[in-house]
Amino acid sequence: SAKFTPLPKMAASIGAVVCRALHSRRHGKFLSIGRGLFSGARCLVAEGETHFGFQTVSETEKGEKVYHVFESVAKKYDIMNDSMSLGIHRLWKDILLHQMNPYPGTQLLDVAGGTGDIAFRFINYVRSQWEHQIRQKLKSHQNLSWQEISKSYQEEELKLPGGSQVVVCDINKEMLKVGKQKAQHLGYSEGLSWVVGNAEELPFNDSKFDVYTIAFGIRNVTHIDQALQEAYRVLKPGGRFLCLEFSQVNNPLFSRLYDLYSFQVIPVLGEIIAGDWKSYQYLVESIRHFPAQEEFKAMIEDAGFLKVEYRNLTSGIVAIHSGFKL
Amino acid sequence: MRGWYGSRTLASVLLCRQPPPSGAGAAAAAAHRRSPGAAARRHASDRQTGQGQPQAFDPALLELLVCPLSKKPLRYEASTNELINKELGIAYPVIDGIPNMIPQAARMIDRKAQDEEPKQT
Repeated sequence: SAKFTPLPKMAASIGAVVCRALHSRRHGKFLSIGRGLFSGARCLVAEGETHFGFQTVSETEKGEKVYHVFESVAKKYDIMNDSMSLGIHRLWKDILLHQMNPYPGTQLLDVAGGTGDIAFRFINYVRSQWEHQIRQKLKSHQNLSWQEISKSYQEEELKLPGGSQVVVCDINKEMLKVGKQKAQHLGYSEGLSWVVGNAEELPFNDSKFDVYTIAFGIRNVTHIDQALQEAYRVLKPGGRFLCLEFSQVNNPLFSRLYDLYSFQVIPVLGEIIAGDWKSYQYLVESIRHFPAQEEFKAMIEDAGFLKVEYRNLTSGIVAIHSGFKL
Repeated sequence: MRGWYGSRTLASVLLCRQPPPSGAGAAAAAAHRRSPGAAARRHASDRQTGQGQPQAFDPALLELLVCPLSKKPLRYEASTNELINKELGIAYPVIDGIPNMIPQAARMIDRKAQDEEPKQT
């Protein structure tokens, strides 16, 4: 259902070969040729086939390959994120939470949530909102009930404020294991659940969640439209869909620097830090294949969401798409 | 700044294969930045989880979870640590307290249905 610019398959495979030649930094000249080829590399594929980075694979293969990528990088995932994005991914995720602006009592489903970055930020946000509310009440001299006073003195809150809850769902159990260990290490336990599940076939009933987030996960899903439909299904009416994902850079000069960095530096970092060149090669290629901002916005609207908007971060390296089930 | 290498240092790092220390340090620094009470909360909950069962399945999830195929509610079987959809005859495993709701991971429980049939006749 996604629309691709038609190009002969030959061009895509030539592009892939040129791309691999680019890894040797001595062939810097090929960069400009290669970029032309793989900027149009999203070509028509046959039925039942899809893209795995710059390769064309069957749809079942893509799921397995993606699973192996994340199984292999799970333990080094966070360190690699910090190294590749120079720590900027933390800002992107913080901005996502600010845009979400959850109040205490929100039920969040974080899909492809793996190592828990969004979930932990959600918990911190909801807790600080609650503390802010208490302070506001004190300032305006309102009488707090005994329950509220005792809660604010509690060192360890037994539940999240307002009954907030976050469920982290990921298809990869290795990523969830890392996330769960991180949670125990950092002291997040209440209001947090972990489930292995497929974004295309969520194990949740209809209209259960206030917010659905998917951060840097949707480009790895084989059938994005199915994932969007499932998101629509599990959200309550009035619920919000939020997607943080790599997108297309709008500035041409910055785009060249970004391509250079992506294809020259990131796989090398992947080899040094995680011992896995191929997985990070897949990562940068999958970013190029993901639909641009407007096209993805149209896909979200197709799933039934309304008031769909996006905002670019860091010149379009990432974008936050938001929609409502109304 | 983390993550930038000149070609000479790149070669030397490749040779000795040492991961950069900045990654772990940055993660620790960010953890501290998150909240001043985090350290206190962490110690308190570490004591709690040490005593409790970190691997047990949280029954509160049962209210949320359904079978991904039929969207019908599930039953938790404590003895085998599985979530059972009786209608379809499949059981989803719970590993390390995390339920695995991928249909390919589910186990068919046809044998149980077959056991019941002779009793009915």
